[in-house]
Amino acid sequence: MSLKLNRAVEAIAAATCEKAFPEEGCGLLIGPIPENFEAPGRVLAIDEARPLPNGWDASAKTNKYLIDPKTLARVEAELSGTGRGVVGFFHSHPTVPAWPSPFDLTMAMPCCSYWILQVKDGKVADSRSWQRTEDGRSFIEEEIVLEG
Amino acid sequence: MSIDIRLPTALRAFADKQEKVSVDADSVGDALEKLFIRHERLRQQLLSPDGKLRSFVNVYVNEDDARDKQGLATPVKDGDTILIVPAIAGGSAVLELELTTAEKARYHRHLIMPEVGAEGQKKLKNASVLCVGAGGLGSPLALYLAAAGVGRIGIVDFDTVDESNLQRQIIHDTQSVGTSKLKSAEKRLKGLNPNVAVELHETRLTSANAVELFKRYDVIADGTDNFATRYLVNDACVLTGKPNAYGSIFRFEGQLSVFGLKDGPCYRCLYPEPPPPGLVPNCAEAGVLGVLPGVIGTMQAVEALKLILGIGRPLSGRLMLYDALEQSWRTLKVKKDPACPVCSENPTIKAPIDYEAFCGLKEKTVSIPEISVQDLKTKLDKKEKFVLLDVREPHEYEIAKIPGSTLIPLGKLPERFGELDKGAKLIVHCKMGGRSAKAVQFLREKGYDATNVAGGINAWSESIDPSVPQY
Repeated sequence: MSLKLNRAVEAIAAATCEKAFPEEGCGLLIGPIPENFEAPGRVLAIDEARPLPNGWDASAKTNKYLIDPKTLARVEAELSGTGRGVVGFFHSHPTVPAWPSPFDLTMAMPCCSYWILQVKDGKVADSRSWQRTEDGRSFIEEEIVLEG
Repeated sequence: MSIDIRLPTALRAFADKQEKVSVDADSVGDALEKLFIRHERLRQQLLSPDGKLRSFVNVYVNEDDARDKQGLATPVKDGDTILIVPAIAGGSAVLELELTTAEKARYHRHLIMPEVGAEGQKKLKNASVLCVGAGGLGSPLALYLAAAGVGRIGIVDFDTVDESNLQRQIIHDTQSVGTSKLKSAEKRLKGLNPNVAVELHETRLTSANAVELFKRYDVIADGTDNFATRYLVNDACVLTGKPNAYGSIFRFEGQLSVFGLKDGPCYRCLYPEPPPPGLVPNCAEAGVLGVLPGVIGTMQAVEALKLILGIGRPLSGRLMLYDALEQSWRTLKVKKDPACPVCSENPTIKAPIDYEAFCGLKEKTVSIPEISVQDLKTKLDKKEKFVLLDVREPHEYEIAKIPGSTLIPLGKLPERFGELDKGAKLIVHCKMGGRSAKAVQFLREKGYDATNVAGGINAWSESIDPSVPQY
């Protein structure tokens, strides 16, 4: 189980989250949809990180993120039939560690990667990626492979 | 009426990888039900067990959110498109969990005490404790924390249940012998209180993983049985600012304290250095009264609960000593050491160190001569001249001995080695070969011709004489 990223994807996600600090930054991870998407051992190769605005009210943005469903639907429509799709999401945890919170678990979808970047003092300090189990009861950490 | 239902990438895996499923339906609810009949796994993903749409699911009819119309009753007509769009949200927010009605009934005896009450019980539900070790201390500790309703209980252990554990490790049972301690503990805790999340960390706690792990919990409870891990737990607690509900046990005696509070001392303030390796035997070597960890582990649970609830006086700056034979408790004051290498204002230890080296466990690189129990048997049968020295404790000698041996416990050796004939050939054994190796090293430094028996009396019992009991 792993999440493959290239330098450009990493740079865009990191810059988005650092710019958002002390609020949470977020966005979509796009790439080919693997044949075995739901398998616990699947590998995702992300070729695009698309930053999106955090949809919560200003008061909640420091510890929550929200992606507008209409925006997501628009991107899905744009990718329809191409074999690529929104296969994961990234967001930041300002100051606190890059472990999924109970709120992350409540809202998580199956298959996808949830890449969490910990931002400390405005800089990315750690990042970890997670896949929800099919029963929805927990997350399993996956390896992040940086390529290119 | 043909309706297209469009699925997001993440859910297509549960619908034969299709982006779009066409059904005949006259309402949103009807369309979804038909979708679920065809793709049963989608039902589990989109609906909660009580049949409601899960929190992350949005349903749109063409461009409009179904919730703004008539929800699942919203009518649809030929050519309409239903979009299932996940609400992608999350974040570092830890939502405060409320007590459910069933939980209010379960925790009634807590709720009626003003010191706990519904507020306190909610604190417990939203709190987390990491139990280091699922053994003697960890057993009552984790059980009482689960019973009390601590929301998240983590356990670190990598051992399997051994029959000799069951004399005191009451979280495990006979059926679990040979299986993972964590799985066994999880089963028991979930059975006791299914509301509690049990997190299993099947790993050895190391300098590399301790800090990251501790960050995720509110309170750490040290139930380890060795000095290297004890110092690691202490240092990682101080480094992450987490309180340590500490307990330890030895034969009939127990120790209890709370370390790592902001103004309180840490374990290093009490014991700056570990004892020399081998001087203090562990429970496997020295034994322990089975109920003793029950007393001490339960007290650790008391301290953990007090820390979470913020009530009473935490056992910080005080070390309680329990003597089961006297049935007495003594309390000693422990002061914060202003020169403590970890918890003082100018610490010298800023990250976990190598604790095996710190505790002198890596010095055993000096190779010492060793024979097997088979060799020992041959020598005895041939009536070769040598002194068979047993360095165990007298009570162990009572349980099992090899005939003809001389007993000098390892701890007494520095004062009594003179009793041994310097010209004699010494063959040294203990229970498993560890203490005797130290004795051999010590004796060779003093100029004796000493040889170790690999595997000790347990190996003797196993391969030579089964009538010698193993303990």
